[in-house]
Amino acid sequence: MPAIDAAYETAARAILCDCGCHPQSVLECACSHAEEMREAIRAEAAAGKSAEAIVAGYVARSGESILVVPKAEGFNLLAWLGPGVGLVIAIVAVAALLRKWRREPPPAAAAAAPPPDEADLARLRRAIDGER
Amino acid sequence: MTATIGHFALFLALCAAAWATLASWLSTVASGRGLQKSAEHGIYASFGAIVIAVLALEIALVTDDFRLDAVFHYSSVAQALPYKIGALWGSQAGSLLLWAFLLGGMASITVATNRTKNRALMPWVVTTLGIVLTFFLILVNVVASPFASGPMRADGVGLNPQLKNYWMMIHPPTLYLGYVGFTIPFAFAIASLASRRTGDIWFRTTRRWTIFAWFFLGTGILMGSYWAYIELGWGGYWAWDPVENASLMPWLTGTAFLHSVIIQEKKGMMKVWNVTLILLTFCLSIFGTFLTRSGIISSVHSFATSDIGPAFAWFLGIIFFGSLLLLILRLPDLATQARLESVLSREASFLFNNMVLVGIAATVLFLTTFPLISEAATGRKVTMGAPIFNIVNIPWALVLLFLIGVGPLIAWRKATAENLRRNFLLPALTGFWMFLLFVVLEGRAAAESLSGMGRALASLDAATFLDRLKAFYPPICFGLAAFVLATVVIEYSRAVAVRRRQYGENAALAFARLVGRNRRRWGGYVVHVGVVIVFVGIAASSAYRKETIELLEPGGTIRIDGYAMTYDGFRLEAVDDHVGAITELSIWQDGRFVGRLEAAQRWHPNMLFPELRASFHDALASRGGDPEAYRAKIQAVFAMISRLERTAGREVKTPSTEVAIHKSFALTAPQRFGEDFYVTPLGVDPVSGKANFRVFVNPLVNFLWIGGFVFVLGATICILPDSRERRRLEASMALEDRAAA
Repeated sequence: MPAIDAAYETAARAILCDCGCHPQSVLECACSHAEEMREAIRAEAAAGKSAEAIVAGYVARSGESILVVPKAEGFNLLAWLGPGVGLVIAIVAVAALLRKWRREPPPAAAAAAPPPDEADLARLRRAIDGER
Repeated sequence: MTATIGHFALFLALCAAAWATLASWLSTVASGRGLQKSAEHGIYASFGAIVIAVLALEIALVTDDFRLDAVFHYSSVAQALPYKIGALWGSQAGSLLLWAFLLGGMASITVATNRTKNRALMPWVVTTLGIVLTFFLILVNVVASPFASGPMRADGVGLNPQLKNYWMMIHPPTLYLGYVGFTIPFAFAIASLASRRTGDIWFRTTRRWTIFAWFFLGTGILMGSYWAYIELGWGGYWAWDPVENASLMPWLTGTAFLHSVIIQEKKGMMKVWNVTLILLTFCLSIFGTFLTRSGIISSVHSFATSDIGPAFAWFLGIIFFGSLLLLILRLPDLATQARLESVLSREASFLFNNMVLVGIAATVLFLTTFPLISEAATGRKVTMGAPIFNIVNIPWALVLLFLIGVGPLIAWRKATAENLRRNFLLPALTGFWMFLLFVVLEGRAAAESLSGMGRALASLDAATFLDRLKAFYPPICFGLAAFVLATVVIEYSRAVAVRRRQYGENAALAFARLVGRNRRRWGGYVVHVGVVIVFVGIAASSAYRKETIELLEPGGTIRIDGYAMTYDGFRLEAVDDHVGAITELSIWQDGRFVGRLEAAQRWHPNMLFPELRASFHDALASRGGDPEAYRAKIQAVFAMISRLERTAGREVKTPSTEVAIHKSFALTAPQRFGEDFYVTPLGVDPVSGKANFRVFVNPLVNFLWIGGFVFVLGATICILPDSRERRRLEASMALEDRAAA
């Protein structure tokens, strides 16, 4: 029995419920269509089919889009690896930008600014109090 | 009659908007204010005409004028009045009209509030707004008219039953307020580029518009999630559906924009990036509307399939590449001297935050459109389900959570060891202990995951490593949440203490004055707290959810996670447009009776089958009479639907469920605070009452909605008028006027 349950659950988790609700596996979806599909998958599992065989049958009948996520092979690898590659590119780009920014010379004006006098300081204190 | 009025009003609106665009554009080269004034009047006139069209369509909906297709397909005689009114945005054409209506209104407000100031920018602003408005008016005039009509029909098809829900009525307009709202900052950004006034006026003027749009988009997303949660019956609220993604993307880039403008304000850096972000946000808003309404990637929301696709694609292309070209031409004007002293600084943390937000948006965009890319490249259609989105987005989101804690407190320019110790030592310790607590609570599972990670690392198996790492996501999330909350609490309490010392105010007054003095900053912290609460809700409800499916006879009981649910019995009903089987349930929580709930399975018969229609109306008519006869007639409807389904080749019914939810907020059971006991009846036999129940226990799921309220509160604080902001805007204007002179 556990083997049948495991095959059923693995297959139902991999197959999409094409009811037009949220894009979800047959296992998760709550529509009556999913209920029927669950029965069908359970029957196949009870007949001794493995999860792979059940899923392969669905793919053969309805095409690859019946899978919740495409197999990580061929062109689909782009979808699986693309975001990770994007992450690496983003990190590299930001690191390069930070390096560039850090190399910029400090603005000359800041170094040459005269020390503030008492009137300036009083004005700044007032401004800070206003900010609070 | 209403159709004729509507057609004419929309045509007038189009003419007025087109004139406003042309006149405003001409006024950028002409001297005098005449053309610009005429253009502004054109915007008002266009909005007025759109209002008439909207009223005409509403009158048609309310008075059941089934000659109009938009009324026939989305309303019916039996439909309750609120849903008749809301059916306006049920149809594709109607929702495009809503877009035009909101844009017309916002454009009019923008013109009215800015016409005497911002003289240099306004001609370009009105031109841009005019172009967008004209596009949507062309759509509703030529491509998808909400006033398309046919012969008079006796009754309408009615709104999809899943949409007949309070949240579904207010969710689309809320979302649209967000989508449309981003047009205003976009128009000002374009105007600043076109007029070469690339200072900070454009974003200071539109600061509150941007927050407004971002606020409504965020609220709309949460409302949509809540609707999915209570209506779709699978116990969750987010499935990376293309339309959900469409609303999330502009919200993410909008959030990135709200943060990165702060760097431009304070440091004059990132000018190009800020323009790019608002351009992206606007384009993603248009793309979102396009995805929602065109059904190009089939999804839950594409109840309308359409021919607006090519028009949208052209418009989006022109807007995107046109703005990009303008931006490239103006790059010399936007050059700034950027300098960074340290990676440990506020500037750098903003940069990281932008990287993460835009990174998530880019990932979502890529994966959402991947089925199209795949179909174009290989001819095979694939589905992008939730698991593939979660691989990268959960780690991204956790990094974001960390940055929410770091960003507001780290010093500008360069964080010293003293700054880090003072601001982060206590929060970091709090977060670490929280993380450790949850790892210990997980116990064996955590240990197994850790050893699995070790083995995967040794054999260089990245997929298994990531899979094992998942077990640590919730503790990491709770640890980071504690870290962020600690930073916010410390920041608030320090500032309140300073005020109390300095001005002798009591704590409440000091707190109120503090927030009032710098609304964006202190309101922003409140938003951060809201986001953290939402994150906690998501992490807990997805990681610790429990569920079971069981077939019960009346009198049977389901036990799960300390709950017991007894199925007391059921009754049948025929109301409005459906027959339903309502199950009556008693719920016990940890041995204590907590209440009775009702969950229903509904079948909405397809009235185009005459015999089914007759049978349903027969059942409807016997309501209130002999209960036994009423029951028998409803059972007959159920039986006829089942019989027809075996023979008829088309849809006989639309099913829907009304879930039952027991929310726990009692302080007597703190470990269950924010938890939902959630019941979906998957199928109820109308004769024996035998029912298949799917039951979920969703811990902390209500934190999503609580966090949503906190978000709304914080964003409201941010959007209140701020005299300091106004003074800064006036100073910028004076500066720019002097520079121009």
